Amino acid sequence: MRMSKRLSAVLLSAVLAVSACSGGTGAQPAADPNAKVTLSYGVWDANQKPVMESLAAEFTKTHPNISVEVQLTPWADYWTKLKAAATGGAAPDVFWMNGPNFQLYASNKVIGPMPGQPDLSVYPKPLTDLYTFEGKPYGLPKDMDTVGVWYNKTLFDAKQVPYPKDDWTWADFQDAAAKLTDAGKGIYGTAAPLGSFQEYQYDTIAQAGGYVISPDGKKSGYGDPKTIAGLTFWTDLIKNKQSPDLKTMTDTTPIQLFEAGKIAMYWGGSWNVSEFTANSYTKGKIDVAPLPRGEKQATIIHGVANVVSAKTDHPDQAWEFVRFLGSKEAAQLLGQKGPIPAYNGTQTAWVKAHPELKLQTFLDSVSYAVPFPVSKNTAAWNEAELTYLTKAWNGEVPTDQAATDLAKAMDALLAKE
Amino acid sequence: MNRGRAREALWGYAFIAPTGLGIAVFYLWPVLQTAYFSLTEWGAFGGHTWTGLDNYRRLADDPEVGRALVNTLTYTALGLLSIPLAIGFAVLLNRKGMRFVGLYRTLFFLPVVTMPVAIAMVWRWLYNGDYGLINYLLSLVGIDGPNWVADPATALYALVVVGVWASVGYNLIIFLAGLQAIPKEYYEAAAIDGAGGWRQFFHVTLPLLSPTAFFVSVVSVIGSLQLFDLVYVMAGSGAGARANPAFPRLQTVVQLFYERAFVTNDRGYAAAIVMMLLLLIVVLTAAQFRFQKKWVHYA
Amino acid sequence: MRRNRYVHTILIASALAMVAPFCWQLITSLKSLSSATSVPPSLLPEGRWDNYSRVFDVIPFGQQFLNTVLMAGLRTIGQVLFCSMAAYAFARLRFPGRNLLFGILLSVLMVPPQLFIIPQYQIMSSLGWLNSLQALVVPGLFSAFGVFLLRQFFLGLPKELEEAAAIDGAGPVRIYWSIVLPLARPGLVALSLLVLLWSWNDLFWPLVVNTDPGKMTLSAGLASLQGQFQTDYPVLMAGSLLASLPIIAIFTLLQRQFIQGIATSGIKG
Repeated sequence: MRMSKRLSAVLLSAVLAVSACSGGTGAQPAADPNAKVTLSYGVWDANQKPVMESLAAEFTKTHPNISVEVQLTPWADYWTKLKAAATGGAAPDVFWMNGPNFQLYASNKVIGPMPGQPDLSVYPKPLTDLYTFEGKPYGLPKDMDTVGVWYNKTLFDAKQVPYPKDDWTWADFQDAAAKLTDAGKGIYGTAAPLGSFQEYQYDTIAQAGGYVISPDGKKSGYGDPKTIAGLTFWTDLIKNKQSPDLKTMTDTTPIQLFEAGKIAMYWGGSWNVSEFTANSYTKGKIDVAPLPRGEKQATIIHGVANVVSAKTDHPDQAWEFVRFLGSKEAAQLLGQKGPIPAYNGTQTAWVKAHPELKLQTFLDSVSYAVPFPVSKNTAAWNEAELTYLTKAWNGEVPTDQAATDLAKAMDALLAKE
Repeated sequence: MNRGRAREALWGYAFIAPTGLGIAVFYLWPVLQTAYFSLTEWGAFGGHTWTGLDNYRRLADDPEVGRALVNTLTYTALGLLSIPLAIGFAVLLNRKGMRFVGLYRTLFFLPVVTMPVAIAMVWRWLYNGDYGLINYLLSLVGIDGPNWVADPATALYALVVVGVWASVGYNLIIFLAGLQAIPKEYYEAAAIDGAGGWRQFFHVTLPLLSPTAFFVSVVSVIGSLQLFDLVYVMAGSGAGARANPAFPRLQTVVQLFYERAFVTNDRGYAAAIVMMLLLLIVVLTAAQFRFQKKWVHYA
Repeated sequence: MRRNRYVHTILIASALAMVAPFCWQLITSLKSLSSATSVPPSLLPEGRWDNYSRVFDVIPFGQQFLNTVLMAGLRTIGQVLFCSMAAYAFARLRFPGRNLLFGILLSVLMVPPQLFIIPQYQIMSSLGWLNSLQALVVPGLFSAFGVFLLRQFFLGLPKELEEAAAIDGAGPVRIYWSIVLPLARPGLVALSLLVLLWSWNDLFWPLVVNTDPGKMTLSAGLASLQGQFQTDYPVLMAGSLLASLPIIAIFTLLQRQFIQGIATSGIKG
């Protein structure tokens, strides 16, 4: 390594003349509070990029020496690229963190604990707990999200199916899915994809009374019969052709099928509001209902937090920005055009932004919400979940067998943490 | 005179210095480092420790590596179909009095210059099981086509079709040049001996084209073994890609290398995977050079 | 005559197979998602230009276009200069170790590029060059292939002019610059076009070193578009068309030179 550094330094002088096109990150002068500083802010949601940019602009108004550059990396690449960047010491100064990745980043000291004594009581407790590691908070929750059933009213009307009621059950849902399916027109009652468990498997597992990971984080719940019931809920829908099969959903994802009018009921998050109200097909055709009740009522709650890279050149400015993003003022701005802000009491603006939709549904469900299942190396068993369950979803292996195989593999991975 | 020699030598070194240094730093030294890394294990965010041959033992037991090898070799072997196709088209275009040769050549050439990422996206759409153009055309003749790149039975072959489609134009250009280099006298002599079109093709054209075919086959095998772009777009990478039921049929050696090196940051293991690729390329290329005596005719 | 008709039928059918995907790409890029997914599909476009504007909303297309132009352009200039210098030395100058050095250079040609990537990435990272134009350009300034290709070309050039110039007292620099380079123009053009094409379409290296969307090339940016829009095919078709059009345009214009380039590098290799 040392060798290559020296050699490349020699080389540098030779080639810089040719590539005299710098723009690299020059060293920053240290700790001059009045120096102009540009913070990079990594986010993954294109729909939220404009809101984040206006928040950044708002911040610069009160902190004229700090400007913020919002960097969008689409969700599919976000964690890959962030990991690579963090390994190379080039992570953004401030970035979005989620539950499954948090403990990995905190335990490897890629992100640092928050200095001072932030007031965490203004955010929902499941969210601040999610971002606490070894007793210390590592960031402030930015937003929260819960899950609901988005449904296409036009398709309901066409089949004269009544819209979902707030107290509907699994049986009501299955009944509606059967009635709404119209094979001749290529229309499915719902979609049972495999990919993001937050809106699908984790919810039904909780509704069935099962669990994904034991509270102490040591044991997988996939072998539990109730957990398996939460999985067969979905595989049965595919078997009954009320959902496209896994191959079809690989070719065209359910959200696009929903936006093309091919799916009547789409399990989605509160974060889908901006997409569905902007999309020229779904606009005006859809509404949202709570998740149907199984053995009990449940939805997964999750929220994104803003965290600071441990290697940032400007920790003071970065934390100042995170504090601003966690403030009531920022939450109110976020709620007008973005996701549900995490700051208690600022959520009404979010509901009122789209009076045509029953958005209160997402807030009401907080009362029975269950936390997102995570451990220290969540990614490892997330990969196992997909590897094993793909076989069940594709009909190669019975669901209960795939689930018990998965439980064994996951237990082995948890033992290594 | 001696001083002149010394001066010439100095100039020689000066002229090769930029490339020489660049190659040393960015190519030669990295090969040695990769060989070294293949004997180490890496942490999630950097730092590595010596583990000897552990990575190579892991290679032997890893079912994903086995699948990636089978897929890559199958793709490579079937990809050679582009050679007879290209020869066929070259011969047709090279016929006497052929018109619109320039136009055909341009059209065949389009995929060669198009960005592979773009090609993969277009084909993924063409291959769509429910709304793709291919299955629509098949439905017109009463065939219910599969989800080409999501079905384990068809995914790899669908990939081969794209690979051949994209490379046939390149090979065509090389074979056309090869055909034009064959002296007319050979054909005249064959005609005097009473050889017709087909006999001329088998007794004059093919043997004289065989050195070109050999070159093309060496280059295309090396290229196919490194298949990545198409798979990266059509199958993706990371945990999410594993929800595609055809994923086990789409993984290739370089795709696996990418995942281990830059998705899971398991760089020591990734280094072992590319060392295996190097071995594969060396062996297959050497085998082709040995085997060429059996079929390549040097005039 | 009749046989030519069969030949033309075969060729026309195959040419159609070559072009049809591009036509379908264009048509889809102008449809809405719901009409793109209607069965049976309509074969006509609809004039939905907003698919194109959505591409610009999500990826900084202009910036990525510029990055790609700069990367491809600088790599090309660098390789033509450095490779021709080295090729001239290997073809014409005598110095101890020449064959050994050339042999080492050839051995690099045999190694698949993936073997270089992890260490190259480490070098970029330790220089603080991740997410920069230098990272895209610098390793691509040097090429064993370029040296090899040009050396073959130089060996085929007549020596008389150079010998006459040497008698007139011209040194290696002058001979290289004012005699060899002008004579070798077709070879240089061939190399330039190949480097340009490979750089423009390159995915792996840009994907890995530059993760900041503003520093990405079109190839990596396009792949990230799929990460965002998943299977919203009309938008993906619009983006992929935009990203590949420039190079298609250049190569349709410079077809002759390019084809010569492939043919020479192919046959002599």
